Amino acid sequence: MAKTPIGLEPVVGSLASSKKREYRVTNRLQEGKRPLYAVVFNFIDSRYFNVFATVGGNRVTVYQCLEGGVIAVLQSYVDEDKDESFYTVSWACNVDGTPFVVAGGINGIIRVIDASNEKIHKSFVGHGDSINEIRTQPLKPSLIVSASKDESVRLWNVHSGICILIFAGAGGHRNEVLSVDFHPSDIHRIASCGMDNTVKIWSMKEFWTYVEKSFTWTDLPSKFPTKYVQFPVFLASVHSNYVDCNRWLGDFILSKSVDNEIVLWEPKMKEQSPGEGTADILQKYPVPECDIWFIKFSCDFHYNAAAIGNREGKIFVWELQSSPPVLIARLSHAQSKSPIRQTAMSFDGSTILSCCEDGTIWRWDAVPTN
Amino acid sequence: MAAKSSLSASVDRSEPPKDSSMTQIEENTSTVKEVLSVIDSLKKQVSADRSVSVKKRLEENRQKLGGITNLFYKLSNERRSNLISDADSVSDLLTKRQKDALGMQNGLDISNGDKDNHSYQEPSTAVLMGSSIPVKNAVRPIKLTEVKKLPPYTTWIFLDRNQRMTEDQSVVGRRRIYYDQSGGEALICSDSEEEVNEEDEEKRDFVESEDFILRMTIKEDGLSDPVLESLAQCLSRSPSEIKARYERLMKEEKDAGASQNGGIEAQNWNSFLEKDLEAALDSFDNLFCRRCLVFDCRLHGCSQDLIFPADKQPPWNHPDEENAPCGSHCYRSVLKSERNGTVSSQINTEEKSNSSSDGVTARMPSRKKSSGPSGRRKVKSCQSESASSTAKNLSGSSDSEIGPRLEGSSPIPQLSSSKNKIAGKSGIFKRNSKRVAERVLLCRRKRHKKMTASDSDSVVSGGVSPRDMKLRSNAQKENEDTKSFLQKNVKSPNTGRSRRKEWPLKEGVQGEVSEVPSSETINDLAWSNSNDGLRKEEFVDENLGKQELSDHKSWKAIEKGLFEKGVEIFGRNSCLIARNLLNGLKTCWEVFQYMTCSDNKVACHAADGFISLLEGYSKFDLNGTMGNNEVRRRSRFLRRRARVRRLKYTWKSAAYHSIRKRITERKDQPCRQYNPCGCQTACGKQCSCLLNGTCCEKYCGCPKSCKNRFRGCHCAKSQCRSRQCPCFAADRECDPDVCRNCWVSCGDGTGSLGVPPQSGDNYECRNMKLLLKQQQRVLLGRSDVSGWGAFLKNSVGKHEYLGEYTGELISHREADKRGKIYDRENSSFLFNLNDQFVLDAYRKGDKLKFANHSPDPNCYAKVIMVAGDHRVGIFAKERINAGEELFYDYRYEPDRAPAWARKPEASGTKKEDGAPSSGRAKKLA
Repeated sequence: MAKTPIGLEPVVGSLASSKKREYRVTNRLQEGKRPLYAVVFNFIDSRYFNVFATVGGNRVTVYQCLEGGVIAVLQSYVDEDKDESFYTVSWACNVDGTPFVVAGGINGIIRVIDASNEKIHKSFVGHGDSINEIRTQPLKPSLIVSASKDESVRLWNVHSGICILIFAGAGGHRNEVLSVDFHPSDIHRIASCGMDNTVKIWSMKEFWTYVEKSFTWTDLPSKFPTKYVQFPVFLASVHSNYVDCNRWLGDFILSKSVDNEIVLWEPKMKEQSPGEGTADILQKYPVPECDIWFIKFSCDFHYNAAAIGNREGKIFVWELQSSPPVLIARLSHAQSKSPIRQTAMSFDGSTILSCCEDGTIWRWDAVPTN
Repeated sequence: MAAKSSLSASVDRSEPPKDSSMTQIEENTSTVKEVLSVIDSLKKQVSADRSVSVKKRLEENRQKLGGITNLFYKLSNERRSNLISDADSVSDLLTKRQKDALGMQNGLDISNGDKDNHSYQEPSTAVLMGSSIPVKNAVRPIKLTEVKKLPPYTTWIFLDRNQRMTEDQSVVGRRRIYYDQSGGEALICSDSEEEVNEEDEEKRDFVESEDFILRMTIKEDGLSDPVLESLAQCLSRSPSEIKARYERLMKEEKDAGASQNGGIEAQNWNSFLEKDLEAALDSFDNLFCRRCLVFDCRLHGCSQDLIFPADKQPPWNHPDEENAPCGSHCYRSVLKSERNGTVSSQINTEEKSNSSSDGVTARMPSRKKSSGPSGRRKVKSCQSESASSTAKNLSGSSDSEIGPRLEGSSPIPQLSSSKNKIAGKSGIFKRNSKRVAERVLLCRRKRHKKMTASDSDSVVSGGVSPRDMKLRSNAQKENEDTKSFLQKNVKSPNTGRSRRKEWPLKEGVQGEVSEVPSSETINDLAWSNSNDGLRKEEFVDENLGKQELSDHKSWKAIEKGLFEKGVEIFGRNSCLIARNLLNGLKTCWEVFQYMTCSDNKVACHAADGFISLLEGYSKFDLNGTMGNNEVRRRSRFLRRRARVRRLKYTWKSAAYHSIRKRITERKDQPCRQYNPCGCQTACGKQCSCLLNGTCCEKYCGCPKSCKNRFRGCHCAKSQCRSRQCPCFAADRECDPDVCRNCWVSCGDGTGSLGVPPQSGDNYECRNMKLLLKQQQRVLLGRSDVSGWGAFLKNSVGKHEYLGEYTGELISHREADKRGKIYDRENSSFLFNLNDQFVLDAYRKGDKLKFANHSPDPNCYAKVIMVAGDHRVGIFAKERINAGEELFYDYRYEPDRAPAWARKPEASGTKKEDGAPSSGRAKKLA
């Protein structure tokens, strides 16, 4: 990485905890022996704001957070293929609002589970290798996007089971895609990052008719004219190593590599030459002992805070939108020693869940201040 | 302070700091300190500004985002209400479970007191309170039926034809880490050598804040070396960089100020038309692939070396004068109408004046006589030619003037051919100026005959006059004669009026001249000017007059450029030029006028001497371009050749490629990459092709007679399918441009274009399948062996061409890098093509990349030269039935082949029959 020139230095957050909030472990579950790779709250449907899903091994489990630190198991799904190892899970819903749990993993098959009927809705076969992340479009929650080891990102319609777009090709990623995220307000835009150390922003504006078409498609999904988006609108080399998680924060992007920090930057596109541009690194959120890849952070509903686990089982909660960044809390527990692959923050950030390499789920609840 | 620093600056500049006295050093150190403090304070200011701006931007973003998340919240609430309204009846199991769980929790809470109340609850929906209860016991898991997964693949791009790797896709010089999924360890797949590459950073641009610090510091402390140095240190750049940047900033500031005053200069010019043709052609030269005849060729790349074949096509010979005007604005039709006017008026005047002496008809024979028998024949030819078309006489007027002059030294009576010699001849002209002058005089006379013979001579370009000027300087005496011969009628055709002047006969003219009627109209004002010894510029001005001025102004750069190209291509044919190159921009008549005017100019340049003559012609005339460009071009090729050769030496010394083995051929030599040579004559020892060990191809610059050329085959009945065919034997495809009997039939294959097929389909060349893309349909499916496989749709016979193995062309160095990673992933699509390139079908390729390896294959791959490029064809080794999977031998090295690829009898006998294999494993897709 080039040295940042004077005047463009990022504002780095201090690791001194502000103790704005205090969190305590209120529950700990051992789901199984296999590592848990993802945990996610349902932000799609306000009825289920306290419902979350985890994946690990060939199992997808749906839980509910109850008062007093209670975690109730609602549903559990097991892939018959024992070799399946789910890496990611996301909530989505049908056009009529039926809640879906969408999971993907090593087999490269996206499983769309109808949670209200407790059965598989559809399975998407198409990715040539394992799936590293699935995200849902918040404005149209029947659109999901998947990042895969096959170096492509695909846009699917869970309602009709159509693969609408493939973001790959000449300008695509040159190694596994590890993370992908929808822009919160610009429905045409996604950001993806991966093992080629780059973050790419893609636009599907020109292909939006296909997205619309996918909702009314009545023929076989395989007959749908899936389109390739070969060139991103922006390419940033913010990191010098694997980029394993990126999220939009408004028009800014939060991304992390294996450099013990989350970086907030603004993509500045050049108008004349699409695909090029510069990244203005605004802020950095240090996360010690976070130098292994496939550790993902999560935000609460309003993007006020982000929680990220590290290699040693500790969690750092950062206030995202203050400048300089404020470390809300540092969570640690004597028994939490295993690397935390992903965290999930509840709607208001009062509950933080972490899923660990050793197959445990930890629940942390904010201690009421008064 | 500023004064002090500027003082020290001046001292520093005047003498090196080493020699400066102690006081100066002290002064310097003190300034350095001051400068540093200034910089420091500026830095602080900048960073404070930065944090404020970040804060501001974050705040703005936060507010925007707040609105968005509130919308999300609304949406999520709507979803709930939607569902409640219409899903009351529908059993939503998730909601039910939720309620159950809640109920049970409540139940459990109460259960301490009242257990029986909730005893109906199933244990399967147990609430997990502690960590001790394993989940799987709690809820009965719902099974997701198995879905067969696809064999792994990486998203790839279909390639119709090979592509050269684009720069940014190189892994050389980049750090690649291979992550072993099963082993759980990361391996760094880059050499230390490449780490160094990473170090050298690209030049960084100055950002705004750096500019600010720079400007403010210099403003504060002046521009002195210590200031620059400390600035450089602070911004971690070199002092010279800082200085350059500062100067630029100052300039920009000035420019900004100037532009404010300057206002908006209306640039309403059509930017396209304003562009120079050179610039426009530049993109053509850079982007158009001469070998593939497409723009932006991905195989040969842009900015190819321009190679001009030595066998140049002769300039367009317009078929014998179709006199038909090319359109309503054709110069012919315009001229005709004008000529009618002028000629008749001329005749009238002549008739009037000649009433006393001679008639027009009487004048002609007398002149013929005077020309003498020596010039007879030529005059005749000229006559006949000019008689055949007055129009041609016109369009080639300047040529015809030059032409006869040359006739004396070289017997080239044809106007068009005489053009070619002008540049060279001018040298002779200089040497024997007098002789030439005489010759010219002679010719001029002949010409004069011709002009009179074709009674449309009244319209002649004025190009003659400058030559006369020259003549005058060379041979004053003859000049007198010549002048008097000349009958010129330079018109300003736009106005339709011509300046006419009665030309009184001079004293002391020769006999035949005296026969010229005194009333002859000579319309060239310039003529008299030149006679008076006026300078050329005036001549131009006068001669071309206003018409030219206004006309030439309206000709835009690109139009001029197009016109010049047009002259190169079509010769001096305004019809063709206007129609083909200036369609919609200029009419034929306008082109004609311009042509005539530029001729005049050329002639003027000629008067300036030979250098200017050369230049002028190189600009305006085909002759010039031929002669002059040849010199330039040759030098370019010499340069290029040198470069190629150097490359060649490095290969040799490196001996890198010599270890590469050809993969498909049973030879130890790898194929050599062909690069066209730029030889203008038959290739000698310097030829890059010869040095490189390749044959010359049709893309080379050398003439067809070059000994190093591959001559193609003459096969007729063998269909070029055996080694009898020289093309086939040399692993080349036949080329319809080169081979004698290998042609491509058009359209329906029955030999259309009126040519009947020689005797049925049988004579068709069978060695052009790659060129014609006559491939079999290949299907992609799950392999019976491993991963994906390629299958054949239709049955084919032995040695049938199945398809091309396409991919990215990468260098061997790149291939080694990629191979490291591919080998780890146990999936490689590398294919050694020749000494320069390896084909990689990993990301870009076609379906044949999925064909698996087999020690006992049914296909074979062969590197074939097709139109100068090496391509890989896959052929059937035996008869293959429809639906069979395709295999070929990847030629693994024995120790690198995967287990399933090895033959049971210890790495097969197959290897013996030649091919030391390429050394790169390629495994399943």
